[in-house]
Amino acid sequence: MKPRAIGKRRPYVRPMAGWWRKNPYFVEYMIHEGSAFFVAAYALVLLVGLLRLSQGEAAWNGWLFALHSPLSIAGHLLLLAAMLYHAWTWFNIMPITLPPIFVAGKRLSASAITAGGVAATVLASVILLLVVWRLTS
Amino acid sequence: MVLPARRQNRKESRPAMSEIEKTIPIEVLRYRPEQDTEPVLQTFQVPFTDDMSVLQGLQYIKDYLDGSLSFRWSCRMAICGSCGMMVNGIPSLSCKTFLSDYYPAGLRIEALAHFPIERDLVIVMDDFIEKLESIKPYIIPKTPRALSEGEYLQTPAERDVYEQFSSCINCMLCYAACPQYGLNSKFVGPGIMALLHRYNMDSRDGGAEQRMELVHSEDGVFNCTAVGYCSEVCPKHVDPGNAVNINKTESAKDYFLRFVMPKGSNSGAAK
Amino acid sequence: MEVFEADIAVVGAGGAGLRAAIAAAETDPALKIALISKVYPMRSHTVAAEGGSAGVVQAHDSLDHHFNDTVGGGDWLCEQDVVEYFVAQCTEEMVQLEHWGCPWSRKPDGHINVRAFGGMKIERTWFAADKTGFHMLHTLFQTSIKYPSIQRFDEFFCVDLVVEDGRVQGVVVIETATGQFTLIKAKSVIIATGGAGRVFRENTNGGIVTGDGMAMAYRHGVPLRDMEFVQYHPTCMPGTGLLFTEACRGEGGLLLNKDGYRYLQDYGLGPAEDKPRNKAMELGPRDRLSQAFWYEQQKGRTIEGPHGSVVHLDLRHLGEAYLRERLPQIYELAEEFLGVDPAKTPIPVRPAVHYTMGGILVDGNCAAPLAGLYAAGECSSVGIHGANRLGSNSLAELCVFGKVAGIEAAKYAKSVAPGNTASLLKQAADAQKQAEQLVIRSDGTERIATLRKEMAQTMEDGCGIYRLGDSMQATCNKIDELKQRFKNVNVEDKSSVWNTDWLLAIELGYQLDVAQAMAYSAINRKESRGAHQRLDGFEARDDINFLKHSQAHYAGDGMPRIDYGEVKITKSQPGTRAYGAAGEKAEQERKQASHV
Repeated sequence: MKPRAIGKRRPYVRPMAGWWRKNPYFVEYMIHEGSAFFVAAYALVLLVGLLRLSQGEAAWNGWLFALHSPLSIAGHLLLLAAMLYHAWTWFNIMPITLPPIFVAGKRLSASAITAGGVAATVLASVILLLVVWRLTS
Repeated sequence: MVLPARRQNRKESRPAMSEIEKTIPIEVLRYRPEQDTEPVLQTFQVPFTDDMSVLQGLQYIKDYLDGSLSFRWSCRMAICGSCGMMVNGIPSLSCKTFLSDYYPAGLRIEALAHFPIERDLVIVMDDFIEKLESIKPYIIPKTPRALSEGEYLQTPAERDVYEQFSSCINCMLCYAACPQYGLNSKFVGPGIMALLHRYNMDSRDGGAEQRMELVHSEDGVFNCTAVGYCSEVCPKHVDPGNAVNINKTESAKDYFLRFVMPKGSNSGAAK
Repeated sequence: MEVFEADIAVVGAGGAGLRAAIAAAETDPALKIALISKVYPMRSHTVAAEGGSAGVVQAHDSLDHHFNDTVGGGDWLCEQDVVEYFVAQCTEEMVQLEHWGCPWSRKPDGHINVRAFGGMKIERTWFAADKTGFHMLHTLFQTSIKYPSIQRFDEFFCVDLVVEDGRVQGVVVIETATGQFTLIKAKSVIIATGGAGRVFRENTNGGIVTGDGMAMAYRHGVPLRDMEFVQYHPTCMPGTGLLFTEACRGEGGLLLNKDGYRYLQDYGLGPAEDKPRNKAMELGPRDRLSQAFWYEQQKGRTIEGPHGSVVHLDLRHLGEAYLRERLPQIYELAEEFLGVDPAKTPIPVRPAVHYTMGGILVDGNCAAPLAGLYAAGECSSVGIHGANRLGSNSLAELCVFGKVAGIEAAKYAKSVAPGNTASLLKQAADAQKQAEQLVIRSDGTERIATLRKEMAQTMEDGCGIYRLGDSMQATCNKIDELKQRFKNVNVEDKSSVWNTDWLLAIELGYQLDVAQAMAYSAINRKESRGAHQRLDGFEARDDINFLKHSQAHYAGDGMPRIDYGEVKITKSQPGTRAYGAAGEKAEQERKQASHV
């Protein structure tokens, strides 16, 4: 294409500052991305537990005790909610990230992929709970 | 001589403006580079009927209220891709967005986000065109074939793999929906990636290797953070976000295969 | 003024312009090609073509069948030698597009699929769902990027041709973004600017379809041929005129009046059968179907809607799944623009102006009488459509003749020396002055939109589906009046950057000239043929006096001079134009007659 002349043109570039507040979709995206922080935070909690375990029984028990505090329980509930939200929005975006999947010659719909992801999560969680319950009872 | 009925009965033509009772406020972001230092909003009261599109509202403004309002349009049926603009902050084709959906509160129309404004609702789209020209958007035959040999065979299933991505009308709504493009306009962006993917997936094409260079590059797919809004606003179900993200996988595959099968492989890793 | 030196200038970058540019680039890569378009190429109106493109492929089909359908469909006003060349080239051009990547719809075995179309004896319409024009245009545009010798001028508006020493030597363009003028010097010029349907009120066309190229050639003395033949497409959206493709009927759609009756059987297109039969009923040609609508309306058997009378296009029996596969765009248009689910409810439709059969007079090599000037596509009259175009012949035309124009313009460009820049610049400066005068003057009183609306209304009133001497005369007078008032037009916008008010005024000037050629050509044709149907004593075809092409010659402020050219007849003598059972009978008789 022939490059444009300048003439009296003065193309106006709009600022991007505060872009994510301008559209509810972007606000939700930022919350979704922000909820990843809680995922990282819980990983940190578990890592601390591992560290305490390596420091002996007393340290481990102290960590376990700390988890029972009302503040910790409230924190865990918050973490759980954030992680559920993160998982849900993550599965919602998942169809966009996958190559087309064909089942019996028909392309799997986006909602089916999301539902599949949620179902797999529920299934994995139930199995994990059962295993833990078996081991601890 | 009997005159055709349609000439006697004028009711059928668009109602005269006096017959229209409803009006709707349309706020338009104006920018006339020869007189405005920055864009300013201007409100017009536009008479309308329920089946009128936002585009028809703008045409009314241009025809009767202010001839200096500039915007692109042509086909009126969502296939030429000219009339993309922000309607209440959402990237939309104005020809298939309807005024009645905004009545009585009114609506605000701005030029497509993330592009420089040339004037009023007209954006500078040179960047998009240059990117399109950079991806070799044509068949690079896998097996050259003479015209006398007839068409390449391609089953409906093989066609389905790329057809969706070939439906892109270049309206650029997906760019206006992509904050990563807004923040860094060097990013190749969703629409162009859809077209690149369209050719890479075509059973007749053998040029994927050449096009993957761009996919891997600094300006390539890894600028995408999977916001997903591009696919949401696409008026043609192209799902450009899918093209971008599939190519993240392809790019990663290429990267690792480069170690496993260096040079001479057919994986696209050779360079 | 900036000067750009090209060998070939192509004005218009729709299907025909792109095909021409590619053909010229392939003919000789050393030739510099300027491809000029007032919009980005993919916005060109080829994009809106839906149904498909003709090309004989089936074993039981033949070039003769395609020839006969086209010539009969055009009511024998076709250049038969040109049609013969055309039908012979169509298929190769479709294969060429396939090789360039066009996503044609396929059969399960991987071969391309074809569908039935109006007025076509055998299925030969190649299609890409119902977005054929869109896919062809994008394929051609994207393929054109491969050729470095094609220099695109996107969003450059053409205001004039530059003619010197009896040959065209370039064009003058405005860059929309800056308002600056450029002289593009060229040894040959191809006009591929499309039709002029926007001179009518209710039409299927995009806003850009304003006859620019036709008017430019016309003003330089090139005749516009057969301009009275304007096609009404029978199935369009009430109010907006948006198109519901003929492929709706090709796939089995039915046309019903207010009683749910397939009224076409009353107009010589029957018998009505359950299964679609080619060249009958809903698969009749467009002129006949639009005319049948008109009569139904006279009889009060249409349905009254907010935008006038309608009939029903019934697709319900085809089922949602099939409609979504074959007619996805139609499905969405009905849903989004009308709130109608075509799998559940019939679509209200009425005829609207769709296509200009006539155009810039060119010979079979796409060469106009002005040396160095070529034209292809809807803006041209190469002679294949006659008095009525068959659906799917126009997309094929822009490939076949776009290519011819490109090759011929390349040949011509190599045979002549470049012109004298100084004298061309002088002409260009005059063109600039004239165009700028529209903006500079501040005493204009006529509103652009008002003139445009009055033009569109009078064209519909006088040159609609059926025409009367009195109303055509009224239209001629009205257009003459509007041309006078146009001299006093007011361009509100005085700026340079993206001044569309200014460009709309220039377009209106083009439209008025084209409309005038149409109206005067129409009133002078005292017979009924194809899309030109009169009800004032000239109801019959008159081969003795009017088996001729009309040619409108520009006369400045005066009324155009109309004269007539011969029609080339090679192997098909004019016969009865009939469809349905009557058509089959007529064909039998022709066959027997030729055996005697």
